[in-house]
Amino acid sequence: MLSTGFKFWFGLCLLMVVSAVFAGYTTGGTETGPISLGWKGGVGNHVVYTLLMIGAGSMAVMGIVSQAFRDSDLEAASELLGIEDLPQAQNEVGNSWWPVFAALGLSILAVGLVVNSAVFIIGIIIVLVIGFEWTITNWSEKATADPRLNSELRERLMRPIEIPIIGTLGIGVVVLAVSRILLSSSVTGAVWVATIVGIVIFGTAFFISKRPSISRGVIQSILFLGISGILIAGVISAVVGERDFHHKGSHHADKSHVDEKE
Amino acid sequence: MTTTDIAPDSVAVTSEQNQTFVERLVTNTSNSSIGKSWIFSGCIYFLLSTVLGFLLDIVRFDSDSYLIFSNVDKFFQFWSLHRTSIVLLAVVPMIIGLAMCVVPPQIGANSIIFPRAAAFGFWVWFLGSGITVFGFLADGGFGSPELDSQREAVALTLVGLLLVIAGICVSVICLLTTIISGRCMGMNLRRIPVFSWTIMVSGTLWILTLPVLAANSIIAYVDLRGRSAIYFGSEDVIWDQISWVFTHPQIYVFVLPLIGIAYDIVPVAVKVRQKLYNHDLVLIFSSLFGIIGFGAYAQPFFDTPGTPVREEALYVLTAFLAVPLALLLFGGLFETLRMGSKNLTRHPPAPLILSLLSIFLLISGAVVGALRAIEPFELLSTSSNTAQMKLTIGAGLVAIIAAMLWWGGLIVGKTAKQGFGLISGILITAGSLLSGLADSVNGFLGLDDFTTVGFLQEVSAEQIVKILIAFSFIGSVLILGGAVALILVELLRFKNGPVSELDPWEGHTLEWTDEIVMVESERPLLDEVGKTGT
Repeated sequence: MLSTGFKFWFGLCLLMVVSAVFAGYTTGGTETGPISLGWKGGVGNHVVYTLLMIGAGSMAVMGIVSQAFRDSDLEAASELLGIEDLPQAQNEVGNSWWPVFAALGLSILAVGLVVNSAVFIIGIIIVLVIGFEWTITNWSEKATADPRLNSELRERLMRPIEIPIIGTLGIGVVVLAVSRILLSSSVTGAVWVATIVGIVIFGTAFFISKRPSISRGVIQSILFLGISGILIAGVISAVVGERDFHHKGSHHADKSHVDEKE
Repeated sequence: MTTTDIAPDSVAVTSEQNQTFVERLVTNTSNSSIGKSWIFSGCIYFLLSTVLGFLLDIVRFDSDSYLIFSNVDKFFQFWSLHRTSIVLLAVVPMIIGLAMCVVPPQIGANSIIFPRAAAFGFWVWFLGSGITVFGFLADGGFGSPELDSQREAVALTLVGLLLVIAGICVSVICLLTTIISGRCMGMNLRRIPVFSWTIMVSGTLWILTLPVLAANSIIAYVDLRGRSAIYFGSEDVIWDQISWVFTHPQIYVFVLPLIGIAYDIVPVAVKVRQKLYNHDLVLIFSSLFGIIGFGAYAQPFFDTPGTPVREEALYVLTAFLAVPLALLLFGGLFETLRMGSKNLTRHPPAPLILSLLSIFLLISGAVVGALRAIEPFELLSTSSNTAQMKLTIGAGLVAIIAAMLWWGGLIVGKTAKQGFGLISGILITAGSLLSGLADSVNGFLGLDDFTTVGFLQEVSAEQIVKILIAFSFIGSVLILGGAVALILVELLRFKNGPVSELDPWEGHTLEWTDEIVMVESERPLLDEVGKTGT
């Protein structure tokens, strides 16, 4: 018996073949060229024909794979798993951050294409990372019949990767932002900034340690505000640029030192 | 025997309960939530588009007021933004939103297939629409006649349009997959309700044609980003390459689901069962209407010398075929109305009236489209383009209002004021008709499609043209009034609307029940009534 998946993919395959043949005959194809994969026309027309035929081939492969693995066939799955009651064909999925983050990554990529190559690369990295995370989430959800176990499985697999990478990236970004702030300030100002930021961090940590009952939400809010402040200040400082540095040995530096002494 | 069990509660459900409103809004993957997001965003863009249309018509009415847009190039940019936004940011999203909410329950599926991809589609479209609009506001858009726009902003508009197309295509793939492989037992393709059928037909055609628009954008983008544009990326020709989407025959494809909306509403509203042959004919005629709307081949920009596509037999034939097909579809509705005329009360339901008005507008648009194709009239580059678009898109908008009044309770859980909804639909109908007819007649008088300020000053001496532009302006005012009324209706529904009943219309199709019903015909709930006698 043909599975639903096979019918779907095979239907798409037929649609693409028909579209390709239609495209072939309506853009100058004659005799048996468009139906024998032997048609060549203008560059654009030929590309359309070729893409549609490649698409049709891909759909056919998907259909065969779907049929080979008995996709969506209740009886086959029941026999394979040795159980009588099967879950619904379309399980409800929970809320997910991946779609919105993936869309955001794609948008950053698109904007970066126009604005700046660094933004474009950041977009690609985000899309790849989200794609990987999304794939692992989907895999884990079908790993066993127990959703709780599946969730645990994903955590055990991904947390050892996510925590070090996100932690390193997070620390790196904060260090970069703080360094921009210090480099854009004057020499004395940088000392003051470092002292004040250090005191604030130390004071906040001391305050939190003295109040063990403080809620998780409050701690998250404090951290969010603090990190946001550092990042915003870092971006502004990067835009302002670094202060003038006086290098030893250069004529300009010597003159500056003299000026300062004067 | 193998049975299908209910899925165990997801672990995610527990964590979802701890989420804030914004988190739930952003992460939700249920088809109704995604559908509501599409509809809400589409409504906002609809309002903004009509405001823009109103401002553009002020300039057409009084050419001296073009300074609203600062110069002619800006006027052109916003003129093209109006066309793009009313179709790709308003009508299509609202139809996708309705389909997301209505199609799965209508065919007996418990949710949309690929729910996360569906959410992804919405967010890609949403962010892409923002980038597109930003590109226009930053002096980009689809170029300008005097090459006076910011090239980076033009590029930004093009990539925004690509994201919009990608979002629509991903969502449509989810809908098509749901219709093809998510149907419940017994719901074969011949039995699926007409709305789901027309979504399948139009969705397929969107999938086949929108990538062509994407290809147009990519070609223009690649050339534009070169040191100096060779041809396709030149700012004075970008719009010419993509304008085929907003005119005959492609424009029909975007509003095709209005046929499904009308055919799902009318038989229930007049309480009759359509004859099966009638149902089959509707499926065939609506598919034919979709096929003649395939417009990716009709790109005048790529005409080879001596063979303009608009004079080719296929183009002319489809323009003429649209009229009898629209009339046949109207005839089917009329027969159903005649059969159920005894069941009609003095105050028929608002969705019924609006469905009929939308088909009437579609016929008007098809007639204008057929007139355009008559070569001796020389209407192809005149304001009859605008007329056909206004009538056809107006038809789609009125049908969407009808659908919101019909299925709104199911989607939102609250009932809207039918009277206000009716006023909104009638205002849009009247506005589209007035504006469409005036522009159509102006087309015969030679008024150009893109009415530059210089041209306006030339024709201003012709009093009749001026009077007709005034009528078109009044039409725009009425459409704007309709858009504002629609937003008010929906706001009132959200704020004070009474809780909706499960099946307020005594519907025939599966979306109106939460029980398991055997599907043995295209109207399973009516079968149940026949069996139980209730």
